[in-house]
Amino acid sequence: MKIFVCFILFSFSLFSVGENILLKNASIFLASQGDALVSSDILISNGLILKIEKEISTKVDKVIDLDGLLVTPGLIAPYSHLGILELEMVPETRDDSSSVYTAGLSISSSFNPLSTLIPNNRRGGITSALSVPSSSGLFAGLASAYSLSGSLHQSLISEDIALFGAISSGTDSRSAKTLMLEDSFDAASRIINLDDWESVSGLPKDFFLSKRDIKSLQRVLSKEIPLVIKADRASDILYLLKFSESLDIRLIIRGAAEGWMVAGDIAKLKVPVILEPINNLPSSFDELGARLDNASKLYESGVPIMIASHEHATHNLHLSRQGAGVAVSYGLPWQEALKAMTSNVADSFGLEKIGYIKEGYSADLVVWNKDPLELSAYPEHIFISGKLISGQSRSTRLRDRYLKIN
Amino acid sequence: MCACGSDHSSSTDQVKSFQSTYQPEESGEFVIVGATVLTGAGQEYELGEVWVSNNKIVQSGVNLSYPIGIKKIDAKGKWITPGIIDIHSHMGVYPSPSLRSNSDGNEAIDPVTPHVWAEHSVWTQDTQMPLALKGGITTFHVLPGSANLFGGRGVTLKNIWSRTVQGMKFPNAPYTLKMACGENPKRVYGRSSGPSTRMGNVAGYRKAWIQAQEYKDKENPVRDLKLETLSGVLEGKILVQNHCYRGEEMAIMIDVAKEFNYKVTAFHHAVEAYKIADILAENDVCAAMWADWWGFKHEAYDMIWENVAIVDQANNGKGCAIVHSDSSIGVQRLNQEAAKAMAAGNKAGFTISKARAIQWITKNPAKALGILEKVGTLETGKMADIVVWDQDPFSVYAKTEKVFIDGILHYDIENPSTPKPTDFELGLIKPEEDRM
Repeated sequence: MKIFVCFILFSFSLFSVGENILLKNASIFLASQGDALVSSDILISNGLILKIEKEISTKVDKVIDLDGLLVTPGLIAPYSHLGILELEMVPETRDDSSSVYTAGLSISSSFNPLSTLIPNNRRGGITSALSVPSSSGLFAGLASAYSLSGSLHQSLISEDIALFGAISSGTDSRSAKTLMLEDSFDAASRIINLDDWESVSGLPKDFFLSKRDIKSLQRVLSKEIPLVIKADRASDILYLLKFSESLDIRLIIRGAAEGWMVAGDIAKLKVPVILEPINNLPSSFDELGARLDNASKLYESGVPIMIASHEHATHNLHLSRQGAGVAVSYGLPWQEALKAMTSNVADSFGLEKIGYIKEGYSADLVVWNKDPLELSAYPEHIFISGKLISGQSRSTRLRDRYLKIN
Repeated sequence: MCACGSDHSSSTDQVKSFQSTYQPEESGEFVIVGATVLTGAGQEYELGEVWVSNNKIVQSGVNLSYPIGIKKIDAKGKWITPGIIDIHSHMGVYPSPSLRSNSDGNEAIDPVTPHVWAEHSVWTQDTQMPLALKGGITTFHVLPGSANLFGGRGVTLKNIWSRTVQGMKFPNAPYTLKMACGENPKRVYGRSSGPSTRMGNVAGYRKAWIQAQEYKDKENPVRDLKLETLSGVLEGKILVQNHCYRGEEMAIMIDVAKEFNYKVTAFHHAVEAYKIADILAENDVCAAMWADWWGFKHEAYDMIWENVAIVDQANNGKGCAIVHSDSSIGVQRLNQEAAKAMAAGNKAGFTISKARAIQWITKNPAKALGILEKVGTLETGKMADIVVWDQDPFSVYAKTEKVFIDGILHYDIENPSTPKPTDFELGLIKPEEDRM
């Protein structure tokens, strides 16, 4: 790895967003235009990908010769509680759930760009993430998309972009949940004046939706944002497909452990799914059909798939790469696994200017030492909005303190 | 180490019940040839061979002088490792599916329950077991949970389908005692009987050990199941497996052990083991760790990816590092967890070979379970627990092709009726099919 510094620079920390950087001899995974890797140069300017060409020679602040290393779009986590959760078992470090708001819970005012989870996940190649509330009821609330720049001023990519919820087994009949789903949207569709909706909602007495909650549902009804429902059982998935068709809304399914059983149905409506492809366990009676070739079977049927991390996921969002590797060993094409962590996420959630390596797109790029799905892969360089990001984290500081003692 | 001695001492010897009934069929004689062999004893052989007879390993290496006409299994281009051992499993006691009715791992009614035995909870038809077999797990150690200061006895099982727990028990493996430090006991009991602090935890261990000492020294004590287990530890017959995250707590627990003249065999989870890796090495204590789990609680906040490597390399490579799962997902791919830990170590400047790293999931857990004489490497005379991988097991794309336990093929990628599905999975989704 050769780094030529053309103009005098004092340190990385002095790099500004406006800097021009030229990446020479990159092997690029574009996440579009077929699947081939393209050997090319990339010119970064003003935080954007300005040019992708075979031989770029122009005056820049910095040239990095990649010597054929693979460059992918920065990985996007389709599901996380990033910035709203620090320690799972310490409630005062969690802002991911509410007992007051449901569909209307927006987490954007809680998001903490200085969370230690951000540099840790960045080290694994994640450059942006959906941060999602996690309440366990029918509706958890609204997700927002953030970059992992760590910037207090510029982390937000897009606010309140999807409504998340879940239907699954519990103490109440799952039918009660699906009826509640129907009734909620029915109420939202009938209410024109939000100020007097309570009297006309027709909802069960103890099921309260605030104005804010109703507004979220109306945004789903107008197709402004997608509805993302966690469901694993094949019959639940079929119900959701029918439901979304009848309301003509944008549906995304999360979980879909038994998705392979109804892959054709999901594909027919072009409903994207968020998978944890490493999960093959019948952990509950909703997931008895869980298996490792779920991702490849869904892909083969034409379902757009997104790959999420597993087990303590928000702390280790980058383990989506391990799950993707396992999915590939069970039949998912390698290129599709990468798209499932980049362009498919951007497309499914309507995130603009990220997820692809394209001229005019945000320069969110990761340079890998090897195949990013491999367990020994790590980023050699990470760019977010054209800025070279430090690979340090609280964890590397601890390592460096103790490496010498032992 | 044996749990069936003949003297009159007060611990495990009284127990003639619950003994292993596991007896493998006769394996015959065969040799697997042409593979890259990681022996678990420190070697890597190209074009290596593993020769098996009578359920045991005759020899592994290159150019072995096995008899002409021996049954040969061609493994050209494949990799071979010893059977993988998970030292921290809750298979059978926290099964999949996870239901309130089969959640049997924590006797969370009292912080001191050394009288409960994990093997009395094990559901032999847990769906995790055949999936773990596909991941190369041939032996696993089932522990009670960590709600209690003394959680109870752990048990070492062979990963074979059986109607009974006794039919899975690793013959003559020593019993273990689960102990737990830190947040869990004080969280569970902090608002009731206590302990409610870490110092309360330590007072609780010491109080129990004092009682155990008295019991051990009595001529004919009235039988007490709690003290029977604890005095078994003091007699060196039961191995302590101590759940502990923080560095300073592990150092305290080593001193508690010195006070009562027992030994901590391994710390489990040990997220901060890297902070005291030299102390662990000096005291010959193993640490069983994850590659990268962190942040689920405060005592798991200081995770570093290099933890396993630093423990391994401590005091010029004298450390005893183990990669464990504690997870139904991780147990299926301990090779991948070891691969991540090896990569992190090598990136930090260590030189850790695959031949070394494979010991984190074979030899070292065998040592910490007191069964290294029987398994953990492919050395002469050991049980023929062997995994054939389709490629380098440190790759994310690697899958097992064959898993032998005592020379018997329990999983074969070519044979769709293996691994044998659990009772739970028969006709579960469609009456005429098995789950997988």
